[in-house]
Amino acid sequence: MEENVALKPRGRFGLRYWTDREDLLGPLFLFPAVIYIIALVGIPFLIALAYSVTDVTAGNTSLDFVGLRNFQAILKTPQFLTSLGNTIMFTVISQIIIIILANILALILSTDFRGKWFARFLIMLPWATPIALGTIGWLWLLDSKFSPIDWVFRYLHLLGEPGALLGAQKNLFYLGRLELAKASIILIYVWRMLPLSAVILMAGLTSIPQDLLDQADVDGAGFWRTLFQIKLPLIIPIMSIALLFSLIFTVGDMAVVYVLTRGGPVYYTQILPTWAFYKGIESGALAEGAATALFLFPVLLAVAILVLRFSRRTEVT
Amino acid sequence: MAVIEIKDLSKHFDDVRAVNGVDLAIPEGELLVILGPSGCGKTTLMRMIAGLEKPTSGVISIGGSDVTELPPRVRPIAMVFQSYALYPHMTVFNNIAFPLKAHGNISKEDIQKKVQWAADTLGIEKLLDRKPRQLSGGERQRVALGRALVKEPKVLLLDEPLSNLDAKLRASARDELQRFQRRLGVTTIFVTHDQIEAMGMGDRIVVMSQGKVMQVGTPQEVYHDSANTFVASFLGSPGMNFIEKENFLVGFRPEQFVPQEIAGQKDELQLFPFSVKRVEYLGAEQQVYGVVEGSAEEKRVIANLSSEMHVEIATGETYNFAVRKQQLRFFDKETGLRIEPRPL
Repeated sequence: MEENVALKPRGRFGLRYWTDREDLLGPLFLFPAVIYIIALVGIPFLIALAYSVTDVTAGNTSLDFVGLRNFQAILKTPQFLTSLGNTIMFTVISQIIIIILANILALILSTDFRGKWFARFLIMLPWATPIALGTIGWLWLLDSKFSPIDWVFRYLHLLGEPGALLGAQKNLFYLGRLELAKASIILIYVWRMLPLSAVILMAGLTSIPQDLLDQADVDGAGFWRTLFQIKLPLIIPIMSIALLFSLIFTVGDMAVVYVLTRGGPVYYTQILPTWAFYKGIESGALAEGAATALFLFPVLLAVAILVLRFSRRTEVT
Repeated sequence: MAVIEIKDLSKHFDDVRAVNGVDLAIPEGELLVILGPSGCGKTTLMRMIAGLEKPTSGVISIGGSDVTELPPRVRPIAMVFQSYALYPHMTVFNNIAFPLKAHGNISKEDIQKKVQWAADTLGIEKLLDRKPRQLSGGERQRVALGRALVKEPKVLLLDEPLSNLDAKLRASARDELQRFQRRLGVTTIFVTHDQIEAMGMGDRIVVMSQGKVMQVGTPQEVYHDSANTFVASFLGSPGMNFIEKENFLVGFRPEQFVPQEIAGQKDELQLFPFSVKRVEYLGAEQQVYGVVEGSAEEKRVIANLSSEMHVEIATGETYNFAVRKQQLRFFDKETGLRIEPRPL
């Protein structure tokens, strides 16, 4: 049975009226995010900028302009130069390892095998762990006396007896020996960022049309040719985005070094974020701390712009 | 000798029998069209010939050797996909050269020569430095064809290669593709759901339905001597008319069903009283919808009259329409298969 229902006239400023006003709702919904970014990123950033060109300290908070003197000063300290070198080295090496492993992992995970979802779940776990807690876990694994890794080496007779491959001493003292400490830090960066990069690349691989892969197959391309001439070139745009994410995270993170080595032995594993923290917060030299923290900002900004442009330029569809 | 021989080929996806016991032999140089509605298994059949799909059972041999277990890259075939599947990051030159490079053992100069030959043949010499996204639909199709041909395949597989072109371009592309195939003489399998493409291009047509081959024959054979009611009603637009008799079906084509006055000599004709329900004027022709009175179940029947016949047909009237007796086709009511003529 059909009945004619008279359309009820709506109140001119009823709920429907307001919920249809995209010009009002858009800004309204964006507002919290904008406030958040201004309060927690924008203002501190501006304060840091201001601090870096003044003589402010924790004891004397008057802002007297000193130009680039802070930057000149920090460039003369060996701690800063070591931190800068470490930041660059840790970042570059970890990114290279990440991009290679992430590609391999993404290729494996984008094929079909039993228990795939479980493998994906396990691989995503490091990304779901708070970075500081994850690093504390690693701190225990790399403990100078009780390291389970050393225990496994001893069990396999690779360590702790005369003539063993890794030496006759009982422990490897990962965080006490400079090269091992650096390697440990890089290892944790890789462990931390690999899942996200792999998942991003996996999404990229999945988005390649099956027709193209079938065509490559019909055209006679084997596994390696398909990988290097079809798959990788097609995911370069998304790969550069994955790289950018991981790069910015790695350069900006202080938790790993702070928890793991506190910059030691001596200051040889300091990186810019931890050194800025020790200098600016712990020893109160706010101006030099700010200058240290901001030092790489122009470089990062340029890298980000370049990567984004590159990513857009290499996009093919 | 047959270049491709397919024996009892089946592909089952779980419970779905996508291809179900297909036998085919395709002689050298033939352009064979596989025609059927979507989901009839025609693309699966082609993908099995290409090696992209593994048969559940059956044997495929190409050029006399069994390729059933071989991967696509070692089969002497080339394929053009519906989407053309051009590598978007490569220039036209590199797209066409790709199968040659993948093959290995071909010198740079030879690659250059072969790509140039393909480009000349297809008229795309000027496009060699472009990327696929800078090409029109028709140009993309040629590039895809060029890439397929440089391999000098024994068999060329085309999966609905014209369906991405607009209607106008399709007609000329059809013509071009056919001339091209004749000139090169490459054995070609062409999959389509478009019967105009199939009728216009195929040396022979394979009509498929629900994973099975319904009929194999020249366009004339499948149209005029359809093996069963599926083929008869699938081909032609509109398809064959059927009138139910006690235990069989009588079929005739809409264009063979004309007013008695026009049909000519009476002794050769089968007359039907045709009650007209609707007339559709389409310019070159008019389609007349109605029912034949006195048939067991009054099914809708369509007459397709050329505008040149200059006949006035009014809705609601009954006319004497006729079909030449030799044009009547008879089918079994249960199985749908063609049977010998019966007296009406």
